[in-house]
This record gives sequence, C-alpha cells and structure tokens, in this order.
Amino acid sequence: MLTAAELVGLLRAVAAGDQAAFERLYAATRAKLYGVVLRILRRADLADEVMQEAYLRIWNSAGQFDPAVASPITWMVAIARNRAIDLARKKRDVSVEEAPEALEFAADIADPLAGRERSEELARLLDCLGRLDPEQRQLVLLAYYNGLSREELAARIGRPVNTIKTWLRRSILAVRERLGS
Amino acid sequence: MTNDDDRDVLAAEYVLGTLDAAERERAEALVRSDAGFAALVRDWERQLGELHAAIEPVEPPPQVFERIRQRLAGVERDRAQVVELAEMRRRVRRWRTFGTAMAALAAVLVALLVTSVLRPDLWPAGMRPAAEVAGGPAASRLVAVLQQDAASPAFILTVDVDKRLMTVRRVAALQPTGKSYELWLVSKQFSKPRSLGLVGQQEFTTGTALAAYQPETISDATYAISLEPEGGSPTGEPTGAVLWGGKLIETLPAARP
Repeated sequence: MLTAAELVGLLRAVAAGDQAAFERLYAATRAKLYGVVLRILRRADLADEVMQEAYLRIWNSAGQFDPAVASPITWMVAIARNRAIDLARKKRDVSVEEAPEALEFAADIADPLAGRERSEELARLLDCLGRLDPEQRQLVLLAYYNGLSREELAARIGRPVNTIKTWLRRSILAVRERLGS
Repeated sequence: MTNDDDRDVLAAEYVLGTLDAAERERAEALVRSDAGFAALVRDWERQLGELHAAIEPVEPPPQVFERIRQRLAGVERDRAQVVELAEMRRRVRRWRTFGTAMAALAAVLVALLVTSVLRPDLWPAGMRPAAEVAGGPAASRLVAVLQQDAASPAFILTVDVDKRLMTVRRVAALQPTGKSYELWLVSKQFSKPRSLGLVGQQEFTTGTALAAYQPETISDATYAISLEPEGGSPTGEPTGAVLWGGKLIETLPAARP
C-alpha cells in the first residue's frame, strides 16, 4: 500500500483525467476495497459489479476528495461500502446464512485490530467501542464489517428489531459523546 | 431525545449500513439537500471508517479492471458521440437551408402526404397507404422528409404523436443486398442516437418504437437513417454512414378545432 500522501497525489492526478494515475491508484487499493465489498456481499459476481461502480465513481468524483476531511483510503472505502450496502439492500437473496465465517469474525472482534498498526483516531474509536456493553459493541462491528440491516442483525443475534434499534442508538450516542464533536 | 440526536443517529446508521432501502434513500436525499446532515455523514465516515484497518485485503479477479477500463472508455466514447451529434445537427441545419428547390419539393411531398391523409381516394388505388386511411385526419400528425439532397427524397416518416405510431415510406432508396436501413431518433436529451428499428423491404413500415418517448421529444427530435449490416447495427449505435436526416413538420395548420 502506498502512503496516504502518495494516494492523495494520485487522486489529484485522477481528478485531472490522468488514466495512468488511475491505474496505479487501482493497483494500490483494489485488494482493500475488494475485501470490504466481498465481506458485505459475499458473492464474487456482485462484488465485481460494485468494484466497477465504485472505481467509476472514484474516477468521476476524485476532484471532490478533500484530504483535510478524510484519509484517501477511508474516503475510497466509504464509496465502495456505500455501493455494496445499496446493492445488498436491493438484493434480498444475499442471505446472511451463506456466510458462516462472518460469525467467526464477529466472535473475535472484541479487539479486531490486535497487533495492527493503529492511527490515533482508530485508537480513540476502539477505546470508545471498548467501553460499550459487549453485546452492543458486537452489534456495531457486525453492522460495519458485514453491512447488516437492523432486521438482519435482529435475526443474527436473536433479539427483536426494536431492541436492535435502541441499542444502536445508545451505542451511537455514547460513541459520539466520547469522541466529542 | 432531541431532534439533533435523531439526525446524528440517522447519519451514523447510514454510515454503518443498518438502514433499509427506503431509509437509505431518504438519508441520501438529505445528504444532497442538507449541508449540515452531509457534514454529519462525513464525520461518521471519517470516524467509523477507521475500522476498515481490520479487513483483510482480498485480490480481485483481473477481469474487474478490464471491465472498469471498458466502462471508462464508454464514458469517453459518449463524450465523442456528443461532438459527432453536434456535427450531425449542423449538417441537418445545412440541409434545411438548402433553398427553394428542396423546400418546394418537400412542399409537394407534404401536399401529397396531406392528400393521402385527408383524401386517400384521390390516390391511385395501389398507392393508398392503408394505415393512414384507417387513422383518419389527425391534428397531431407530423411528417419528416428524409433526404440527402433536393433531387432524391429517400424516405418519408409520418408520426402520429397521440398514438405514438410511425410509418416510414420508402420512396426512392435502393437497398444494397446484405444491408439494412435503420431509423434513428436523435435528441439532445440522449447522449446517443436511439434506434427506432429497421426499415422493412416493403414500401411502408409501421412501428410502435416511439411509444417509449414523450410527445415533446418526438416532435423536437431529428430523425436519421443509416445503412447498417443486415439485421441492424451490431452495437446499438449507427455504425454506417448516416445517409438521410430530417426533422418533423406539421402536416396541417397548427390551429386545432
């Protein structure tokens, strides 16, 4: 992976219509974005489709990227996740049950980033999440990593949708309070 | 529980991905229309987005970039197409200013057409367009004379805007073997010409392809005919030379009963 500064430079060149820069940007980020969308969609054909849309979107809106607001990879991941979740909501046949590994992943996300290099922001976020009730923390992480809707989360952890809604709200407000805004 | 909290929770849930399809659409509309809400979404994307660090990279299949490259080339082609279209409009304008000879000829053809609509009995029996007789005189009937130069009108396109029915009459166009004539609708609303289907071998071809378009689009469009491989354009866009083009004009005075 290139450094954030290198990615910012590539995005600027892409905004100016530089196709070679776009190819280098793709090479540097494709595996991360594919990992993100495959985890949510769990079907290679859908993930391929979302990758195309995400990178076309990146090509078209690179000029709107602002390094003061987000890191380049976070910005690109957000674009890919959004497309993947849109598609997942439209395709009811992307079933949660197809993905046993998602559960295993959820089981060990008490500290999903053990041993990894952490940015200061990430350390703060993990600290906030670490203070949540374990079941509620798992809910937030399942939602983020697997792109599950409230209904799917309810089915997954065997609680009513209203409980999920309340927990999500409580977790979000707690995180906001700790992170400060 | 305040309204501000509700907005923040909605923004965070949008970013987390827990909203259903309808709620997502609402949130996306808010992002576009409400700068404050858009800023909340950006904040959550930045903060929660850090979690992506835990996701293992997975190498995508090589064909993914190939498809992205093709779609990007398509975007660039569309841009080129718009330029081509402007050139085509310019040519159409030039044809229209060709002068009196063409105008006179067109007027004669229109007169013949109007006659065919209003008084089909004046036409020799073999030349009566059956569809037109059945339709009767309609106030919203338009006609385009598709021709390359004043001496050789090739096709006459008649459109019933209300019924969105069109009839192409082949006047003097010889068809090379192994080729087909294809009719196109060119409108500034679309980046590419839209196919209205093939012109048949017989004298009259009637079609309903215009049913997909709004009356204003139909009346304002330029119509063009290109020579394509047998069976029509393989790409969905004109591949052969655009041989004839023209715009619709009214067959009757604009005043309506």
